[in-house]
Amino acid sequence: MSKLNKTGTVLGLAAVMGVTLSTFALAADIRIGITMRMISENGQKYGQMVMDEFDMINKAGGINGNMIKATLMNDECKSDKGVANAVKLVAQEKVHLLIGSSCSSVTLPIVDVTSKAGVPQLVPHSTNDKITKKGSAWVFRVPVSGRYYAGVNAKYVGENIGKKIAYLCAADAASQNDCEAMQAQMKAQHGVEPAYTAQVQEKEVDFRTHMQKIKNANVDGIMIAALAETMARALIQSYEAGIPASVRRIGSSSASNSPVPKIAGDAAKGVFFAAAYAAADTRPIARMFNEIVKSRYGINSPDHDFSQAYDLVRIAEIALGNADLKLDSASLAADRTAIRDAIAGVKGYQGLASGPISFCAEATPQCRDGNRTAVLIAYSKGGENYKTEVLARVTMPIDFGL
Amino acid sequence: MNAVASLLEYPSSYIEKLGNIHRILPWIMAFVVLLPLPHILETTLNEYYVYLANRICIFIMLCVGLNIVKGFCGQVTVGHVGLYAIGAVTSALISLHLGWSFWISLPLGVFAAGLAGVIVGLPSVRLEGAYLALATLGLGESVRIMIAVTPFFGSSTGLISIPSPAIGGFVFDTYRSYYYLVMTAALIGIYLSFSILRSATGRAFMAVREDTIAAAVHGINVTKYKLLAFVISALYAGAAGGLFAHMPPGYIHHNNFTIIEMVTLLLMVVLGGIGHIWGGVIGAIIVTIIYDQTLEFYFYQPLLFGLSMVLIVLFMPRGIGGMIDRYLVTKRFMAIQEGKSNGAS
Repeated sequence: MSKLNKTGTVLGLAAVMGVTLSTFALAADIRIGITMRMISENGQKYGQMVMDEFDMINKAGGINGNMIKATLMNDECKSDKGVANAVKLVAQEKVHLLIGSSCSSVTLPIVDVTSKAGVPQLVPHSTNDKITKKGSAWVFRVPVSGRYYAGVNAKYVGENIGKKIAYLCAADAASQNDCEAMQAQMKAQHGVEPAYTAQVQEKEVDFRTHMQKIKNANVDGIMIAALAETMARALIQSYEAGIPASVRRIGSSSASNSPVPKIAGDAAKGVFFAAAYAAADTRPIARMFNEIVKSRYGINSPDHDFSQAYDLVRIAEIALGNADLKLDSASLAADRTAIRDAIAGVKGYQGLASGPISFCAEATPQCRDGNRTAVLIAYSKGGENYKTEVLARVTMPIDFGL
Repeated sequence: MNAVASLLEYPSSYIEKLGNIHRILPWIMAFVVLLPLPHILETTLNEYYVYLANRICIFIMLCVGLNIVKGFCGQVTVGHVGLYAIGAVTSALISLHLGWSFWISLPLGVFAAGLAGVIVGLPSVRLEGAYLALATLGLGESVRIMIAVTPFFGSSTGLISIPSPAIGGFVFDTYRSYYYLVMTAALIGIYLSFSILRSATGRAFMAVREDTIAAAVHGINVTKYKLLAFVISALYAGAAGGLFAHMPPGYIHHNNFTIIEMVTLLLMVVLGGIGHIWGGVIGAIIVTIIYDQTLEFYFYQPLLFGLSMVLIVLFMPRGIGGMIDRYLVTKRFMAIQEGKSNGAS
């Protein structure tokens, strides 16, 4: 009996200690949930970069002595999966901050989840302008909004290429948004309608019919708005159809992704696009970043999705450092609010983005589309060892496109 | 198995007694039993599991509907997810553009899906097996592509801010409140499915499934019943779609209706047991939970699900429902044998 009592006491003590320790461990953790599109090789690397960067912060002692506990989930670029991930991260993991998603069609419904639950959300890659137009007080966008990209592209095209433009628009949210915004900007800035426009499937493989029609339309340029692999196929087929190089190829923001020059090869040469980051950037921070990405992930010229993931972690680091966090079980809501306010307080962050990133407190696109500087980039060489050159850098007015 | 059986014996005999009083009583009982589930899930686990319960209820409706055309009537269809999409988009559009209440938009969504069910079912009059599967797959995928390329249907951005249902001042805008809606719909769906199965229509479906020529010889209008199965199944899919569209956060996108979703549905039905109503329910619950528990292993999930499907078809072709059936038949046989031997002695 006494032996049983002893065993019971020891087990009881162990349980109490366990509970105490786990509570202590929980209290010291800043929990961050990440939901991203992890179905492509690059998609996995973007997610990995975010995790690696948080790991580096932890190895360097954490943030104000608190460790970051990051949970990475795959939403496959599907809204229902993204919502499920967000609900799980918010309700089950009780995250202090949510990062996501890569796809606009997933980010859009997640904004409602974080808004209702009162969880700050940092958007890593999604460019659709509706995300910040929803008016959520909890959402902050690190990448350049689609409304800015369109303005930069249209200005450059109208002034340097010509006004007779054909459009091939894939059915994914970002490409549609880029395409529609570009057409609207061409009309607003130069008063022209599209010379040819066609909508194609998200993973379309055959563009030959469209290319023949575009060839006959005798256009000055072709805008191909599609995800990377689809865009690469369209570029190759534009040359196969006999459209000369003098007809400039304009890419949507995903032209920045490395599969475009790698798959398209020579067909990528001359393609230009607006993005948030140019690997050809000569600033020391950009050189250092390019080296990091090359050594960690084997990519020579990182695209802007890498740079945005990196910038996002730095912004989170600054905000978490400035937030007055208690990190105990009773302070979850207060900690979330403190993080939100701290992100809103980030001003003039100078990272890899081509211009400063600033947020503010109002739940408006003006305050939450923090990055207004797009860089116009052209591929000077395609293939595995592709090269880029910077054509221009433009910081857009805060109200542009609203 | 025996332990489980003895554990279930008391409630099942109780349900049987209730059913003898009035056939609707067990369903009211089930409704009462399921009422506190979101409260239990929220207090013991967290809100996420209430969300999961809602998804399960929607999948149950889809599986039960799919079972009618596939299990009862024996028609191969891979286009069910297209009908689900039609219900979702129709109900969402009516709510968004006309500002009509969910209680009007949902039935209209169900009606639209039913009409589409006629179109999906038409090839079944002339085609069978793999050919019918291909035809329905094409129709289902056409619906998704149409949504993907038509801005009015949401196109690439999807349909945003679809309003939550409301009764007076009460809005079903939380996962907990929405649960009562989807749970009730799922129970009604299962009940109606049983009613169909036990009716002359259900028997006609099964006759068509077993042998179309024999069914025709016995005076069954094969064309009519094939089409009817597709329409009833489409009504279920439309209702599930409407409920999915209005569920918080009220967002649908064409990516929610891909062939992957269709394969997942088929896995639920096959695992549960084709032709067993409870099989669809069990399949929906198991697959949703397994999917959720394996989220971290997203690289291997498609492999896991694909392999499970192959193994189930190979080693458990009648699914879990088939196993339960076999157990019940064996038990009944044993009881008869026992009765005979007692009578003899």
